[in-house]
Amino acid sequence: MKHMIKITNLEKIYRTEEVETVALNKLNMDVKEGEFVAVMGPSGCGKSTLLNILGLLDEPDTGSFEFNGQEIAHYNERKRADIRKHNIGFVFQSFNLIDELTVFENVELPLIYTGVSTVERKKRVEEVLDKMQIMHRRNHYPQQLSGGQQQRVAVARAVVNKPKLILADEPTGNLDSSNGNEVMELLTDLNEHGTTIIMVTHSEHDARYSHRIIRMLDGQTVTENILV
Amino acid sequence: MFKNFFKVAVRNLVRGKGFSIINISGLAIGMASAVLILLWIQNEVSYDQFHAKKDRIYEAWNKAEFSGDLNCWNTTPKVLARSMERDLPEVEQAVRVDWGSNFLFGIGDKKLTVPGNIVDSNFLQVFSFPLLKGNPLTVLKDMHSIVLTETLAKKLFSGQDAMGKVIKIDNKENFTVTGILKDLPNNTRFKFEYLVPWAYKRFLGDDDQNWGNNSTRTYVLLKPNASVAAINAKLKTYKRQYDKEEPKWEMFVYPMSKWRLHSSFTNGVEDGGGRIEFVRLFGIIAAFILLIACINFMNLSTARSEKRAKEVGIRKVVGAQKISIIGQFIGESILLALVAGVLAIFIVQLSLKGFNELTDKKLFIDYSSVSFWLTGIGFIIFTGILAGSYPAFFLSSFQPVKVLKGTFKKANGLVTPRKVLVVLQFTFAIILIICTIIVKQQIDYARDRETGYNKNNLIYHLFTGDLEKNYPLIKNELLASRVASSVTKTSAPPTQSWSDGWGQEWEGKDPNDKTDFYRYNEDEDLGTTAGLTFVQGRDFNLKQYPTDSTGMIINESALKIMKFKNPIGKLVKDNGRQWHIVGVIKDFILTNPYEPTKPMLIAGSKAWFQTILVKFNNKNPVSRNLAKAETIFKKYNPAYPFEYKFVDEEYAKKFSDEKRTGTLAGLFAGLTIFISCLGLFGLATYMAENRIKEIGVRKVLGASVTNITTLLSKDFLKLVIISFIIASPIAWWAMNKWLQGYNYRINIQWWVLALAGLLSVMIAIVTVSYQAIRAAVANPVKSLRTE
Repeated sequence: MKHMIKITNLEKIYRTEEVETVALNKLNMDVKEGEFVAVMGPSGCGKSTLLNILGLLDEPDTGSFEFNGQEIAHYNERKRADIRKHNIGFVFQSFNLIDELTVFENVELPLIYTGVSTVERKKRVEEVLDKMQIMHRRNHYPQQLSGGQQQRVAVARAVVNKPKLILADEPTGNLDSSNGNEVMELLTDLNEHGTTIIMVTHSEHDARYSHRIIRMLDGQTVTENILV
Repeated sequence: MFKNFFKVAVRNLVRGKGFSIINISGLAIGMASAVLILLWIQNEVSYDQFHAKKDRIYEAWNKAEFSGDLNCWNTTPKVLARSMERDLPEVEQAVRVDWGSNFLFGIGDKKLTVPGNIVDSNFLQVFSFPLLKGNPLTVLKDMHSIVLTETLAKKLFSGQDAMGKVIKIDNKENFTVTGILKDLPNNTRFKFEYLVPWAYKRFLGDDDQNWGNNSTRTYVLLKPNASVAAINAKLKTYKRQYDKEEPKWEMFVYPMSKWRLHSSFTNGVEDGGGRIEFVRLFGIIAAFILLIACINFMNLSTARSEKRAKEVGIRKVVGAQKISIIGQFIGESILLALVAGVLAIFIVQLSLKGFNELTDKKLFIDYSSVSFWLTGIGFIIFTGILAGSYPAFFLSSFQPVKVLKGTFKKANGLVTPRKVLVVLQFTFAIILIICTIIVKQQIDYARDRETGYNKNNLIYHLFTGDLEKNYPLIKNELLASRVASSVTKTSAPPTQSWSDGWGQEWEGKDPNDKTDFYRYNEDEDLGTTAGLTFVQGRDFNLKQYPTDSTGMIINESALKIMKFKNPIGKLVKDNGRQWHIVGVIKDFILTNPYEPTKPMLIAGSKAWFQTILVKFNNKNPVSRNLAKAETIFKKYNPAYPFEYKFVDEEYAKKFSDEKRTGTLAGLFAGLTIFISCLGLFGLATYMAENRIKEIGVRKVLGASVTNITTLLSKDFLKLVIISFIIASPIAWWAMNKWLQGYNYRINIQWWVLALAGLLSVMIAIVTVSYQAIRAAVANPVKSLRTE
């Protein structure tokens, strides 16, 4: 299988006036196309920093980050935004839906920024809402939905643009177990249809859905468990 | 994408109703104020710009030295117009316009006095006042022709066609209406309701060929491509060809484009002053008020930023570029400015009447004009961008990583740019408060100045019709019927100078002396009628001293110039006659209450007269005095209405300009304070909301309501105090400069600044403490549970 992500000697240091925190310490990591990877580790080990860099929301200080064979570690914000909107979908622990937009409008948002036509947008949003079984809630606002429903909307938004990579940051952290399982099923299903998934989690249960678990400590990968 | 932005914007507006109301109303008030001021400015700069030949129209001015200064003024000899046409090839036409005539109009039994002008018959060929009826080339050809404005024609002839109708003027001559003018626009220096040809002035014996008699305005129309420099070079020495007595007297022509806003000279050269200074000042005020309203918007938008931070984060995560976020927020603020703009138009429409009264204008919005709508849209977009740019850049710079992970630092305290903005708002407001107080003080100071005469119960009436002829009878009857305690005829009302001059001769005069004296005339009893104070000698008394008809009374300033040790009996030659001094009075204020009094010569009954001055009997009610006086005036002057003026009211009018400045400064100060407080209130509300948990914890730990109110108000008060420190020296400097324009002026006292500071602090406390107290008295259990 082809490499989608290849990270070499990646470093990220946060500095305040008094403290220097090494978030990522010469980290190396590969992810192949179509893989489902879980990243685990204690709080402060650098999981979220890694995810942000993978999602092109943050820049590393040094090291190399190849995405689909392209070195993008030091791309500017414009270029990163461009790669992001065409290739990457995000799922967050706290859903992060826009309160002022309806379910339909939230899911539609990424398509607006990639310049998809109105007719095509409607078709694709309805398709994905149908798949996530929340079509009947299309005109509701996020506050009117349960946590599970909100996360399904968030997943719908993440996949509507058919990204090659989905980054999930503790996607079940705010959900009860049955809603959590539903979301994990959704992600598994997406993975089976070819989407690469990298998921940060604290939950061993959720991690078992993945192919491979990367464990981190103090900004470095310590072990890898291959599950399949 | 726009649809999406629009939806989010509208839903945000509806969700944060309180903030939206504060934002929109603040912006609307600011925009309305700016629009009112812009209307005023537009009116000022458009003065007399509608004349087709405006680039070729000039006014003749004199330049001459007297009382030590090189003076410029625009009253010219009547003989000038025809002479210029004859002598100067650059001049196409010259037009004389008198200083205004209040003729009595008679149509059958209908009688009324109407203000108008006597003009040369080519007036309408030079100036573009369109005729609805009549031919501009011929309407004023015949001496007995008269041109009326549309409104006056309707008023006089009750809507019937006025053309060819006859009007009796001053109860003497019949004039035929030969033309109807469209009503004058509100942006011209001319204020006539009718025009009568100059030939009538000649017929009245009021035209002369005297180069020394400066008594009319002269306008010239230059030929196309004529050189102004060339004609001004000729005019420099032009007058001395005719007037041998004044060899240094120069003339020049002054362009129409400068009449209204400039026309200000110091020592013979334009000094850059004039009404343009007001236009600039008002422009600055408009810009500041708008800026302050926009600052509210910026402050509230950025204070509420974390409510929008998540949205920005998500938009960025799904691929929005920074520029698209900036566009979204600027678009949102333009939308808000549009709503505020519509509201502002309503406010302007409602307040235009009051504003017109305040500024003595007839401003209006021309909704049918394309340029109004274009300017309006431009203004809204400008306001939107001004208000929205800072929040847009601020919001679009959020890092999605931070806002979405919740590590985004809440704007708990006032962040620095917001502090700067609040300081800017209050600095401006405090400056305006200080200005308002000082302008008011200066007016009060001049108003309370000793006038040198007693204005109470004193009226004057100009000589109309038979008043001068019947003056002795009227005086007798007013006194006999005990309506008046004293009656005098004078050359002018005691509040105006109608004549002044130099070149008088007296014993021991320095030959180089060119002092300009006010000339005033009275027959007798001015001392008792107006309550003047005699320091030497006595008032005129024609029964006891018939030679008082050539007597003269001088004021103390004149005595200083003339340097007489014993003035009584000394001779003064003026206007070709010898006058002997019989008395010296204390100076009284004839004209400008802000200037030192000038030397003044009061000549006896051999001089000329224009006014009757009546001191009413204090023992009768004023209404009865007026009613009886009217009967007596009507008896001896039946053709004319009784048009008296109270001297104290006329004197009060001398302060109207300053009063207007004061009222406007006060109004703008009030508005600025109001808009600033609206913003402060919004910020305080937000702050209280945001610190609700902190307040809860503090209360649980034992903080009192006072502690918490102080805690929340302190930050804002600091800012107001900083504003005060910045504003005080600026206001002090500006007002000191303004006061330099007055010779008779106050000194700025420290307590005025302190008062303004105290006032603004108090206003800020009231604004902020409502929210602070509300937050402080809230039950902490509730606020902590919500976390």
